Amino acid sequence: MDEMKATQTPPPAAQKKPTVTRRTVLAAAAAAGAGVAASRLLALANQPTFERVPITGTQGNKTGLDWVTPLGNEAARVSHLLRRFTFGASAEELDKAQTDGYARTVDRFLETKIAEPPPLAGADDASQDNPINTGTLQQWWVDWMTASPTPFGERMTLFWHGHFTSDYRKVGTQYPFLYWQNLTWRKNALADLKTMLYQVTIDPAMLRYLDLGNSTAQSPNENYSRELMELFTMGPQAFTEDDVRAGAKALSGWREPRTQAMIDADLKRQQMRTGQPPKIVPKADTVKTGIFDPQRGYKGAAFMYLGESKVWSTDAVLDRILQQDATAPFITRKLLTAFVTPTPSDAYVARLSAAYRKSRYDTKALMRDILTSPEFTAADTYRGLIKSPTELMIHTAKALGDKTLAKLVAGQGQGMGQTLFDPPSVGGWPENESWVSSNTMLARANFVTSAVQAVKKLPPFANAHNTQIDGVMSAQTLKLLNEAADDKRRWSILLASPEFQLK
Amino acid sequence: MVASIDKIGRREFLRAGLVFGAGAAGLAAGYAAVPDVFARAIYAAKQEKIVNEKVLVMIQLAGGNDGLQTVMPLADQAYRDLRPQLSKSVDEALPISKEFGLNKNLSGTKKLWDDGKVAIVQGVGYPKPSFSHFDSIRVWETADPDRRQQDGWLGKTIADNYDSAGHPLVGCACGTTGIPGALRDLQATLTVVNSQQSFKFNGGDEMEKAMGALYTSTPGIYGALFDTAVTTARDTVAQLKSSAASYTPKALYSDNPKLVYSSKNQLAAALQLAAQLIVTGTGVKILHVTLGGFDTHFTQQQRHDDLMGYFDQAVSAFYTDLAGHGMSDRVLIATWSEFGRRPKENASAGTDHGTSAPVFLMGDAVKGGLYGAAPSLTKLDTGGNLAWNVDFRSVYQEILEGHLGVDAKEVFSQSFDKLAILRA
Repeated sequence: MDEMKATQTPPPAAQKKPTVTRRTVLAAAAAAGAGVAASRLLALANQPTFERVPITGTQGNKTGLDWVTPLGNEAARVSHLLRRFTFGASAEELDKAQTDGYARTVDRFLETKIAEPPPLAGADDASQDNPINTGTLQQWWVDWMTASPTPFGERMTLFWHGHFTSDYRKVGTQYPFLYWQNLTWRKNALADLKTMLYQVTIDPAMLRYLDLGNSTAQSPNENYSRELMELFTMGPQAFTEDDVRAGAKALSGWREPRTQAMIDADLKRQQMRTGQPPKIVPKADTVKTGIFDPQRGYKGAAFMYLGESKVWSTDAVLDRILQQDATAPFITRKLLTAFVTPTPSDAYVARLSAAYRKSRYDTKALMRDILTSPEFTAADTYRGLIKSPTELMIHTAKALGDKTLAKLVAGQGQGMGQTLFDPPSVGGWPENESWVSSNTMLARANFVTSAVQAVKKLPPFANAHNTQIDGVMSAQTLKLLNEAADDKRRWSILLASPEFQLK
Repeated sequence: MVASIDKIGRREFLRAGLVFGAGAAGLAAGYAAVPDVFARAIYAAKQEKIVNEKVLVMIQLAGGNDGLQTVMPLADQAYRDLRPQLSKSVDEALPISKEFGLNKNLSGTKKLWDDGKVAIVQGVGYPKPSFSHFDSIRVWETADPDRRQQDGWLGKTIADNYDSAGHPLVGCACGTTGIPGALRDLQATLTVVNSQQSFKFNGGDEMEKAMGALYTSTPGIYGALFDTAVTTARDTVAQLKSSAASYTPKALYSDNPKLVYSSKNQLAAALQLAAQLIVTGTGVKILHVTLGGFDTHFTQQQRHDDLMGYFDQAVSAFYTDLAGHGMSDRVLIATWSEFGRRPKENASAGTDHGTSAPVFLMGDAVKGGLYGAAPSLTKLDTGGNLAWNVDFRSVYQEILEGHLGVDAKEVFSQSFDKLAILRA
């Protein structure tokens, strides 16, 4: 802790050269718990003041080299935690977490009520006459990801947005539905899975996105029934086509709610078309969820679903899914793959998912298990995941200490492969190495260029290589930082570096 | 020499741990790359076996295209019974035979059909079909209904048959940001260009050089993946710069403002970029583009008709452009979609996931006409779905052998029933 603080002392203003000295590197190395590595510090011929923690590995096999893990050290573990679960950290957030330490920070993440974003003006009254502007909606969320006092809650909301997906193309913007969905996912981000699944099933945007809102017992629509099992809870191969059909029948009967604004816009159109005031004026619904209409739902004899025969309701369907052996491991694996390692071992999944099921699917308890599992801070976890475009951009805004950069962030995800509220398919965003192509790497570099240009007041680079990437750098990154003429270039190199793309 | 390096290639890279997450769920379709320096060494050592100028453009109709609303049965009572709502539009279909008509919005395609440049293979599917988008996409991408293969069939074709050293555009996806599964292969250098206009380093020469320097021998499990992508990006920037300067479109790739499902025709933009790459001699051989939105569970009529319109407009302009440049004889256009849709419409006036559907092959190289056979609408399987008559790999085989001159057996490790769609 103390060493870490020492490395954060800002340099004298007049200092032009890179500001890493032997003292700070030694401190960083000690902080990183890399005592052995520190004894092998390299001093580059032309830049004797700039040193690094060297990368170890088999020298004969260049590509086999791995990053030196600093995770043996508490301070590095805290930074790791912030990168994985809060889009990195601003200087103040980093300071607070480092002061609190790992355990207290985990407690704070899990036990602080997730802060609600300020309402998006006009969104509740969206209609055909006043649709939500998609850019405004994206901007609203990105602003809150950057500014929220509970960024862990925002990261979880982003996870669920990629898991229980919906997109604005199909849902449409002439309703408040997608805005509501974002609020609902946040509100239930750490709720037990049954509560979450129920909210997902009757979420108006989801009713529209996967067509459950138009499914009747007489002619059930299978879209939601299938994806509920395949993508949301159990995974493929854990159910049959008969289960899809039976589930569709069992879940039928829901319809979307109507707001006064939606009704008014409809009536206005009817009147313009017919020249008459409408005869029937529908009443607005007061809830922001789907509404069950027994007339449309299934009534009748018991039938088989997932190996059990009974008279089914939405509630009973979800309970049956939670009784399936596939469900806890599926959700657990998805979380571990997103937050810990691209290849969680079967034993790791089994251990955490058994506890998850035993806790009656308490997602907060599962998250605590993940955050405190030794696997999360194991050596091979270090830089084992690639930041999503959103994480890269928010972390950049936080690192540069400029919340106004959120404007830039909302518009630049597309070229990197991630547009909020517009996942590529119902499967959400494919993660990790799928973020990497010639196009996306170019777009990442271009984002960094724009960010460094757009920032109002570039903070001094100082020891950003320690605070942002733990002082663990490749020879190339180190060399380029050394050769950079000014802080603007140093920031560009750091933010565009492979080290910063990883988490 | 060639064979031995091939053999080292894949296995050694796997052993060296450069393939990550290959066995993990969720990463099953994952992409990994070889370090550029190795990739280049291998390709440099290879003889360029394919010397022809043939180009393949695969168009993915993502979401599961409804075959029955694409190639519509004109006088089948069973069709009208199964689809009381959707069958209404059959009166506007554009007849291509006594029995079948194209969707009313496929007027450009119909014109190409009349010129003998469109082959339609009906009833294309595979054994034990999956009704999952992701599963079935993977089957079509890897050409493997057993779901054991990781590599995409086009990626494997490139790795086995083309020299991509210094030619990053041999395999290219246009109008997207990620590498489509069909193109994925450990040993294929591939590029992805979302849009021509934005494919440059905004930070100029300095940023480009910095990126090149930063992404060299990058440590960690993603090092090779990163380095390859950045090198490919730099090569592609250089290629596109000279390509754009010498391209003048000879067709109008415009949007129809009346179409409601999406605000613009992304397929048209992607195909225009494809045309540019083809006619300016960038060495592009295998292209992949996607039109999404075909998962029409709900109020299908308007949506699907619009999508047909997008497709038609984009492909017609593409063909006209190529013909204007005197290159339509080199280029084969082929469609694919993960599945067709259930013959019986649902209560939402849409259709659920189904099985077989027609595939289109278009261009001067095809012998126009209907191939395969449309599955019977009165002999549906127990799930109410269509039978299949042509294995989709028969179509792939014909594309590889008849057009690209590639040994399909090497790619698929087996042979399929021969279709004779392409001119010798």
